[in-house]
Amino acid sequence: MKFAVLAGVVGLTTCVTSDCQSATLATPESFAAISDAAARSAALFAELGKVLTSPRCVNCHPAGDRPHQGELGRSHQPPVERGPDGRGLTAMRCPICHQDANFDPGRVPGHHEWRLAPRAMGWEGKTLGDICAQIKDQSRNGGRSLDALARHIGGDTLVGWAWSPGFGRQPAPGTQKEAGALVEAWINTGAVCPN
Amino acid sequence: MTTVRMRINGRAYGPVKVRDELTMNDFLRERLGLTGTKFGCGAGQCLSCAVIIDDPDGTSHTSPTCIVPAASFNGKSIRTVEGHAKNGELTALQRSFIEHFAFQCGYCTAGFLNEGQVLLERLAKTPVARADLEKTIVDAFDGHLCRCTGYFKYHEAVRDVILADPGRYLT
Amino acid sequence: MKASRREFAKLVTASGIALSLSRLALANEPGFAARETLPGRQRWNPAATGMGRIDGVAKVTGAKLYASDFRAADLPGWPTHTAHAMLIRTANATHIYEGVDLARLSGALKPSVVVTAADLARIGARVPKFYSGDLFCPVGKTPLYLGQPAALLIYESFDNFDQARLALRNETLLKFGAETGPVVERDYGAFRFTRVAGATPDAPDVYSPVKDGWVSPGFFQDGGGPIWARLPVPTGAAYANAASYGEQIRAELEADNPSLLVLDREFETQSVDPMFLEPECGLAWYDADRKNLELVLGVQSPYDAATSVATLLGNARANFKPAHINAHFAYMGGGFGGRDHTPFPLYVALAAMFLPGRPVRLSQDRYQQFQGGIKRHAFKMRTRIGVDRATGKISAFAADHVLNGGGLANYSASVAAVSANAAIGIYDVPKVDVTTVALHSRGVTAGSMRGYGTLQTMTALEVLIDEAASALAIDPIEFRRRNALKTGGRTMAGNTYDVVVRTPEILDRLEKHAIWRQRAEEKARGRRPGSVVGTGVACVTKDYGSGADTSLSSVEVDPKGRISIHCDHVEMGNGIGTALANRVAAHLGAVADEVAVAEVDRFGALGLVTSGDSYTMDQATQDAAQRDPRWVPAISSPTSSSIGAHVGTHSASEAARVIFRFGLWPAALELWGLAPTDPRAAKWDAARWEQGRLTMPELRPLPLSEIAARAHARKGVTGAMAHSFSRWSWSKATFAIGGQPWTAEIDALAVRKSSGKFVRLDRADVKYPPTVFNRIGTSYTSLCGALVRVEIERDTGALRIDRAYTVLECGRALTPEIVLGQAQGGFAMGVGYALLESLPLYEDGPGNGQWNLGQYLIARGSDLPRQGLEIDVLPPLPNDPPKGMAEVVMIPIVPALLNAIFDATGRRFHALPVTQHVLKGALT
Repeated sequence: MKFAVLAGVVGLTTCVTSDCQSATLATPESFAAISDAAARSAALFAELGKVLTSPRCVNCHPAGDRPHQGELGRSHQPPVERGPDGRGLTAMRCPICHQDANFDPGRVPGHHEWRLAPRAMGWEGKTLGDICAQIKDQSRNGGRSLDALARHIGGDTLVGWAWSPGFGRQPAPGTQKEAGALVEAWINTGAVCPN
Repeated sequence: MTTVRMRINGRAYGPVKVRDELTMNDFLRERLGLTGTKFGCGAGQCLSCAVIIDDPDGTSHTSPTCIVPAASFNGKSIRTVEGHAKNGELTALQRSFIEHFAFQCGYCTAGFLNEGQVLLERLAKTPVARADLEKTIVDAFDGHLCRCTGYFKYHEAVRDVILADPGRYLT
Repeated sequence: MKASRREFAKLVTASGIALSLSRLALANEPGFAARETLPGRQRWNPAATGMGRIDGVAKVTGAKLYASDFRAADLPGWPTHTAHAMLIRTANATHIYEGVDLARLSGALKPSVVVTAADLARIGARVPKFYSGDLFCPVGKTPLYLGQPAALLIYESFDNFDQARLALRNETLLKFGAETGPVVERDYGAFRFTRVAGATPDAPDVYSPVKDGWVSPGFFQDGGGPIWARLPVPTGAAYANAASYGEQIRAELEADNPSLLVLDREFETQSVDPMFLEPECGLAWYDADRKNLELVLGVQSPYDAATSVATLLGNARANFKPAHINAHFAYMGGGFGGRDHTPFPLYVALAAMFLPGRPVRLSQDRYQQFQGGIKRHAFKMRTRIGVDRATGKISAFAADHVLNGGGLANYSASVAAVSANAAIGIYDVPKVDVTTVALHSRGVTAGSMRGYGTLQTMTALEVLIDEAASALAIDPIEFRRRNALKTGGRTMAGNTYDVVVRTPEILDRLEKHAIWRQRAEEKARGRRPGSVVGTGVACVTKDYGSGADTSLSSVEVDPKGRISIHCDHVEMGNGIGTALANRVAAHLGAVADEVAVAEVDRFGALGLVTSGDSYTMDQATQDAAQRDPRWVPAISSPTSSSIGAHVGTHSASEAARVIFRFGLWPAALELWGLAPTDPRAAKWDAARWEQGRLTMPELRPLPLSEIAARAHARKGVTGAMAHSFSRWSWSKATFAIGGQPWTAEIDALAVRKSSGKFVRLDRADVKYPPTVFNRIGTSYTSLCGALVRVEIERDTGALRIDRAYTVLECGRALTPEIVLGQAQGGFAMGVGYALLESLPLYEDGPGNGQWNLGQYLIARGSDLPRQGLEIDVLPPLPNDPPKGMAEVVMIPIVPALLNAIFDATGRRFHALPVTQHVLKGALT
């Protein structure tokens, strides 16, 4: 607790303990008060948006061909590029550093499928409405149906990394399970996008 | 703890137990005394700690050592700056670095040497057009930080090795 | 002009600790000294044929060379095992420190030793004056600055150390109580430099620092800042006098005068890190039985490091007071000023003293280096410049500089003085008034960094000059030419330069260059849609030297003609070893194959003593002191202020001249069969070395090996050891060598005959530069001009340097390839400073321990015009000495970039860095 107070005092922008607590996600049930289904659906997506726009997601869903890093979404150092398979150019491939699991001594995140999201899935700088439209569009979401999308967000282990990002990184809000529940509830309410 | 074996500059090391938290950089520097591989940032951002990994398929690439576990090098074959010269005979790239005065303090040299050597070996297998050479060199070296030189002479040094043998490195 | 550390030498004597640098016993492993002597006998020496540096092979083969490479097991005679220490630094400088939470350090995390402020008090450690301030924050005090150490933890095993450092990567270890706000301290130094020239260029100055002395305000406000106004009180007459002239100058600039263009501008520069690539590191071992402290360090100021450690422990309790300190200084992975007078060696020594018998390594990781390493001063400047509209001549200049010095004084006072004296750059301005003050803050300590102070003030100046030229519609290069100080003109301190001022040649080259000539058409044509193109110019002059610069060297030739050189200056990439070898080769005909640098105490044969402070000494004191033939004003200098070529190699050069004149030349005469009475015997300075052979018209060329063998056989001088001192001018003395008088620009000399011991020669007729020279800002200066063409994308703010040109002069270049490399590196560092690098000063800055190269961006290869940078070095003038150039090459890059950005965008930026984000914000 003392640390939290100090962190406030000194204005730390990174998360320097290994058990950083992040923002929470509201449950789908807490949106029950919104009687209009479309409005409820959009509100559910807006809640999910806290996850989608967290640095853990946006850093590797960039607008261009270069990923970002850290809480402020600075350019990845060293400068790496997407490359033909999303895993970097010949001289600097993602998995060389980003191995099968986080390596906390080096503060480096890892997962066996570590890569950039395809260019079409870039979210950086977009509104939630745009991201929503994009995420539903099979030509821009990796050919996923809505159900597949729910499984992707709620169960994919690379997505799941966002909630256990290792030392020095703020996890995405809530839990992957809670995010998955929001996606399902959003789909079940018509997958309406916020404005 | 993980038991690792690896080849470093052609010599077998291990089996030896390493803590899973031990970085490859500390394994080289603290455990083996191979301090030619440097520690610069500890965050994979300057690449002064890069070594060459020789893959079983005959290709090679560099890897930082400061942000990866020593355990992940189990079974691997690597080269460090100490292993380039054979019996005191410098490689063409080492000579070119010296003759171009490519480095000043020399602390980033091991990383540049390893990266340049991998580049030369890659080009020998898959040559590039002369027109693409500059971008190829920049892409290869851009992850490496140097505070003394401004990079100019490093680029010249590797370029000259390539241009001295265009039939080998260029299409 | 740098702040003084001379008193330490006296303290060392008083403390009774002997300092030495003995060679270690050779075991199977080569000893430290053998490893650091390059390239080494029987090894390829690239420098011998100009094909590389003497350290070339060592550096491309990963040889153990840097302080961070050594462990106890690498050093013969040391115990084999190395313990590891870490400094715990505070990220809080606004609350009362309540101590280390030792409960967190249990199990494997439990250190063998914890050292805190209380322990230092207990053992009687004494902080050297230059580093004044608590080495560790005492419990109950608010930390003096962000990054101040609170504790030193020592672990005997690397594995425990490694686990602990991972577990302790946050600040929960340190406890804090009530909020106090930052600690308020007085400023580190405040000066006013005022000059009013005489009515004509030949007339004496009406008022100047050289004529009337340096002044500081005597009154301070409550917050610690100086009161610059001339107060109506009867004391402080010297200051009041300067202030009267200064206020007159300011009144003229404020007067409503239509014939005068007056620009009044503010400019801010940021804090940056030298970011040398090897973080600070050291290894130490206290052998309590022998009371011997061994140190392995990598610093730019070895003499200071050794003497400061001696001061630290000189009054300590018996168990903490070594009888000997044996310090070894290694090659450095970069320095850039940031390793000059850093407190780090003190902590290395403490680590060893608190774990006696065990070698202890203290090394910083990059986060810690950002948190604890010396920074460049952030400046706030306000400048007023008056230009006569009719003539385009600058008539008056007034500026006020405020420097953020961070937590410890370090070099802040010196930075303030040096930066103020650079404030008018290359220009001749008859009325100048500059106030400067360096303030304490809770930021990380600022100190020495490449081009300190001058980078900041001349950037502001050259941007202002550009604006003045465009306001007057005068071509910027013509405006510079019209106002440039000429050889023989007076600096703002009121002295003339001791060197030829080659500004006209530099400006001519800039003007004739294609980048400049094509600037209008390039701008009009643009590059691609959405981007703008602009060209900028800047030209600066930069002092080299600090006003009390020394070097110590010995040169020896063996019977085979092989040359060894030892020198106290250090190698941090600057190429001092190769420069030494090349400068000596000019006298002895061959490049040394053994060069050892950073050796402080190999020169015992000279028996040097010192006293007083050469910067502040009065003439009578100097006159009295110099009667002792062993006295010198200062013994050893840091390698800093671009003095490597000029001062660092000077003593070796003079030693080589003695060997030639009194060893090789008499041997050559014998080999030629010339009697001493032969008229040609006196023409030793007409002989030339050509391809390793000594030549004289109509005489057989003699190989060095043959001459050296004869010199040894006839017991001639085959080794010489010299000390030199410069206070903006060399000291001179006369020595009797073999019965003949020899006058040279040195103040101490010892010679060796054949393979005998060095024998000190008493000097006669020593002439030290007068102490009044301490009022000089600088008398040695070199020049550099730059042109830069940039292309900026309007939408993104992305800036690309399209082409650039640098032209410099440095007298005789000792190693032309290294001069070129320094110019290229200076360009890159200039680009980083102008466009990329920035450190917040306080809690969100590096003092929080969370900074690394992900946030702190330095120039990468892709940021630079890799094939678009052209560098010209003016050919030396006849008899030009080697001049310093490693700092000046960085400076004009920064204002040239800002001026190019203005040309491209029409926007003038008055704060650094101008990042892509800033540009985007300004353009869209």
